[in-house]
Amino acid sequence: MENAKISAYQLFVLIVLFELGSAILVPLAIDAKQEAWLAILISTLGGLCLFWLYFRLYEYYPDRSPVEYIQALLGKIPGSIIVFAYILFCLYLSARVLRDFGEMLVTVAYPETPLFIINTIMIAAAAYAVRKGIETIARTGELLFVLFSFLFISAFFLISVAGIIDVSNLRPAFENGLTPVVKTAFTQTLYFPFGEVVAFAMIFPYVNNAKEAKKAGLLAVLVSGVTLALMMASNTSVLGIELVSRSLFPLLSTIQTIEVFDFIERLDVYFMLASVIGGFFKISLFFYIAVRALAILFNEQQPIRLAYPIGMVILVLSMMTASNFSEHLTEGIKSTLFTHLPFQVVFPFLLFLLAAVKHRRKKQAGADGRDSL
Amino acid sequence: MVSFFHRKKRAKESQTRSGGPEKKKEQLLEVSLAANVDHIRQKTGHSQDIVIRMLKLGSRGEMRAAVVYVKGMVDSQTIYDFILESMMTNPSLHDKLTPEEAVQLLTEEAISIGGLQRQQRWEEVFTSVMAGNALILVDGIAEALAASTQGGERRTIQESTTNVAVRGSKEAFTESNETNIAMIRRIINDENLWTESMKIGRVTKTDVSIMYLKGIAKEEIVEEVRSRLKRIDIDAILESGYIEQLIEDKTLTTFPTVFHTERPDAVAGNLLEGRVAIFVNGTPFVLVVPALFIQFFQSVEDYYARFDIATAIRFLRIFIFFISLIGPAVYIAATTFHQEMIPTELAIIVAAQRESVPFPAFVEAIIMEVTFEILREAGIRMPKAIGSTVSIVGALVIGQAAVQAGIVSPAMVIVVSITAIASFATPSYAVAISARLIRFLFMFSAATFGFYGMILAFIMLILHLCSLRSFGVPYMSPMAPLIPAEVGDTIFRKPLWAFKRRPNQLVSNNQVRQADDQKPHPPVKDQKGGGRDA
Amino acid sequence: MRKWLLFFLLMMSVTGLSGCWSKKELSELAIISAMGIDKNEEGKYVKTVQFVNPGNVSGGLQGGGGGQGPAVTVYTAEGDTVFEAHINSSAKVSRQLYHPHANLVVIGEELARTEGVNVLLDVFERNAEVRSTTKLIISRDMKAGDMMKMLTAIDHIPAEKVNNTLKITEKMRGENVVVSLQDFIKWSTAPGIEPILSGFRVEGNLAEANKQESVMQMDPAANLEANGIAVFKDEKLIDWYEGQTARGVVWILDRVKQAEIDLEWEGKKDAVVYQVMRQNTTIKADTKKDIPEITIHVRAEGAIREVTKPVKLDDPNIIAEIERAAEKEIKQQLQKTVERTQKNQSDIFGFGQAIYRQNAKKWKGLQENWNETYFPQVKVNIEVEAFVRRTGLRTNDHLSELEKKQSKGGE
Repeated sequence: MENAKISAYQLFVLIVLFELGSAILVPLAIDAKQEAWLAILISTLGGLCLFWLYFRLYEYYPDRSPVEYIQALLGKIPGSIIVFAYILFCLYLSARVLRDFGEMLVTVAYPETPLFIINTIMIAAAAYAVRKGIETIARTGELLFVLFSFLFISAFFLISVAGIIDVSNLRPAFENGLTPVVKTAFTQTLYFPFGEVVAFAMIFPYVNNAKEAKKAGLLAVLVSGVTLALMMASNTSVLGIELVSRSLFPLLSTIQTIEVFDFIERLDVYFMLASVIGGFFKISLFFYIAVRALAILFNEQQPIRLAYPIGMVILVLSMMTASNFSEHLTEGIKSTLFTHLPFQVVFPFLLFLLAAVKHRRKKQAGADGRDSL
Repeated sequence: MVSFFHRKKRAKESQTRSGGPEKKKEQLLEVSLAANVDHIRQKTGHSQDIVIRMLKLGSRGEMRAAVVYVKGMVDSQTIYDFILESMMTNPSLHDKLTPEEAVQLLTEEAISIGGLQRQQRWEEVFTSVMAGNALILVDGIAEALAASTQGGERRTIQESTTNVAVRGSKEAFTESNETNIAMIRRIINDENLWTESMKIGRVTKTDVSIMYLKGIAKEEIVEEVRSRLKRIDIDAILESGYIEQLIEDKTLTTFPTVFHTERPDAVAGNLLEGRVAIFVNGTPFVLVVPALFIQFFQSVEDYYARFDIATAIRFLRIFIFFISLIGPAVYIAATTFHQEMIPTELAIIVAAQRESVPFPAFVEAIIMEVTFEILREAGIRMPKAIGSTVSIVGALVIGQAAVQAGIVSPAMVIVVSITAIASFATPSYAVAISARLIRFLFMFSAATFGFYGMILAFIMLILHLCSLRSFGVPYMSPMAPLIPAEVGDTIFRKPLWAFKRRPNQLVSNNQVRQADDQKPHPPVKDQKGGGRDA
Repeated sequence: MRKWLLFFLLMMSVTGLSGCWSKKELSELAIISAMGIDKNEEGKYVKTVQFVNPGNVSGGLQGGGGGQGPAVTVYTAEGDTVFEAHINSSAKVSRQLYHPHANLVVIGEELARTEGVNVLLDVFERNAEVRSTTKLIISRDMKAGDMMKMLTAIDHIPAEKVNNTLKITEKMRGENVVVSLQDFIKWSTAPGIEPILSGFRVEGNLAEANKQESVMQMDPAANLEANGIAVFKDEKLIDWYEGQTARGVVWILDRVKQAEIDLEWEGKKDAVVYQVMRQNTTIKADTKKDIPEITIHVRAEGAIREVTKPVKLDDPNIIAEIERAAEKEIKQQLQKTVERTQKNQSDIFGFGQAIYRQNAKKWKGLQENWNETYFPQVKVNIEVEAFVRRTGLRTNDHLSELEKKQSKGGE
């Protein structure tokens, strides 16, 4: 364990940046059509439950990292296998986000630049962050969060000032009933982005105040859920559902539509700025968590040494997961059942049950012991 | 390989250290006056400015004595009036006395000077003579009396030239430690203002004093400062910059992690916030630790001005800092990668200007920036009389000729000029100069990856800043980590009455800064007040 | 130390190498201001690209040589697809084609009538360089390419002139609409609404229009002017609306900001000019019946701008009467537009969309053949509320004083 402490507020900031990170890029919950925003809100509730589950697990073992308590719960070897699978999961997600951003930048602003180069410098920056440790990442998060929220708030402001919002685009409501909405919420949006918070189990032990951390985390999930819902609602009302569902980066299209005073227009850079900040944090957090977990698993005393090799792994992974962007996206949606569901819901839940049983038994044993005395 | 080098270096270090003065046996004074005087002559190489005045004690005395001092370092009037005269005319000094009694008498009766010390070791003796003390040697005793007679020509207190404020004290520190410390004492009349002094520099033996407010400064930080200063083993300390470089937390950074100022009021304010000041003899620049990033954007004047104005000016300074950091980089990124974000009319104007320019925007920017840096450096180093010539030539070269020759575009000149002015408007020279260096980094990243490169460079810059610490205090606090109660004195400056507490990161106890309810309440004109008319 | 050096060198080489990839110097770009698409006799697409000559626009800086040549240059190329035509045109230009500042795409009327517009737009929508806010117009009665060759007087760049004209006329007269690429695609794909576009035509001598001298004259030989709204059906241009009919469309789409309406007063035509300054139009669908009913509600506020006959404008009752007359007039105009559109069988007003948003289930039954079968049968109620808020600097006109004087003189 790194000897570091972060505050509850820093945890809040990191979770918000993490959740918004790549979710602002894509048409989220688009299968729910006009009710995408509602699907996001519903899955936010699910996200809150998941967060509670992850945090509860941490509360059973407040001073141990997940690597250690999974091993303690499942036994050395099965535990190690599960932990290793989780590390691979983190690396894969990190690579996915990296790919998302690379593709976005290549499509939007750097058509002639190879994806590999774009990804390389991004991962180099992330490796630099990982070497600096969680405290520095958290502090950087605090500063950039101000910029990030400024960008978001001003973008919403500009969108509403530009007079491009047409709320009637959100109608008709529930064209096909509530079923597709709920289905989208629980088959897609719950896992991306909300379930990904599972990785933060590695971060919880660093927080200096567990009680505050729980509140901050729940609030962060709620805030990011509401922000995403608002974002999707404004995308839909500006572009109309047909355009949103055809867009790779609907928020970009929305921002491109802004024309205020004949002067404030062409704000692509705005979008790029916000998304690179968010993406950077998502990549580096997954990256950092994978490096930490590996260090603990293999008893490496200087985890900093792992930063560059693991960075290379993520880079190569990001290039190899798919040969084109469509494949990458399809993979993202289809893989939820095979990867996201077990790693984000099934395993944590089983672990939680196991921990709860063990805990109770221990407590009973303690109580019995006292009685016998 | 690397570790091998380290080991070798360490071995070398220990060698030099053991070969130093520690090896010498402690040498003591001798009983014979002649031997002592000879020793002094020999040790100082018969230097002309070492005055050795031989005399006899008392009005009719026979006992031989000597007064030794360095010309120019002492106040000669003091030596004539209070040492020589009293030694030579004091009636109670007579032959019957033993040397021991004579010295006793001198200390207690004859010499009317504040600081008087008895010394036995040559090392002490030389240090005090070289620092401007007068040495009194009496035949027959292996002791010397050192009388503090420091004086001589010094620069008087003048107005600050580097930290200029429109409002506020006009005093600036001088080169003398005593004067500087006294200036702070004059501001803070409290017995809790403690100073500790030490000599650093094997050859220069420079006076270095640390000053802090007992009970307000955090003990650990004071201890840390003390131990870092003690660790210094160097031959010379010529300026506080030496100390700064030897005690900072991280050397591989362009940002200053030690604050330095020429203004006593700034130091006093920092002391009252619990910081520690380090005075170095021979320079008017006093160091203050721990330093925070935001501190370099604050000026003492902010606290003298009204809070709303001060807040606005602080925002402006941050804005200025960003301009001086990324001004040319934004121009490069916008004209070589993101032409779409420039409004059409402007894009066409800039394109028209760039038509005849033979260089890419990056090269153009580098040419202009380097030219500007040359001019700036020349302007500083030149004698003042020639300085104006430089600026005229510079203005002609940059402003007129380069544009007319079509080597640079007018837009570039505008960008570089704004950036140049911005870099001069940052209150702290140390931060301004580091911004100037990082500017080239941003220009480079903008030239290779446009805004994407700039954003990543910016993120890395923030990461770097956040990883810095100054004496254990995070450099970017109180913004990161966020301490909500202290944000009121960062980019913002809350009203003075609202400064209830000191920055608690630094303070051990005694956090309350002022009494409750300090908000000014003008007397309300109520019904009673109507009596005045009657 | 060596590690650092290695890292530094690596980063330098990575960034240094990449330097040439996406970098484009402003002076190496051919800034496209407008594009035009036609089809020639051989069935190939003809793409006309209008470039800005920056040196000639900003009046010249060095040597005083600027401002001599025309502000824009036009190149034409053909190909089997729009993209091919585009690539072919780059063979004629020494610089890299640069789209983001292209604010205008002109489509020839002939092409719009035979092939429609949508098929041309994918290439623009897909390209990240092309702005989705780029405006679309139809060149009326002429090839888009010929219109691109026009030079204009006040605005140096013709595309700017077109865009500004569009914006101003939409605001002042309400007879045109500003339609961007994105709007057009949105309208085409959304259920229950058909797209429209504004038309431009050249007034005057076309042969003279591409010469610099034409612009130098006080009365240019030819002028570009906004003219009419193109109505589409099944993606093809079928009709042009002009004047009041066109304004009716803009009105029903709730995009009119100002409109001027001539009222008949005491038997004299066009006696009172009422200018709408502010208006709000809503479309409501009543989906209870088999064939839904549409209600258009207009609320207009405005002022009297001119009278050509003595009217007692200080009398509130008279004002109220004028208001009634204005309501009648507006209603009539809108009615005409609706009737003509129903005859055209193209739901450019978005009545279908209103129904869809009101009652999605009902819409499913109507969706097929909406334009042909149901739209023409829809009963449209138009409700207008008009208010006269003020009458300018004077109450009664000087004409009535004149009349009085004359009648006195007659005594």
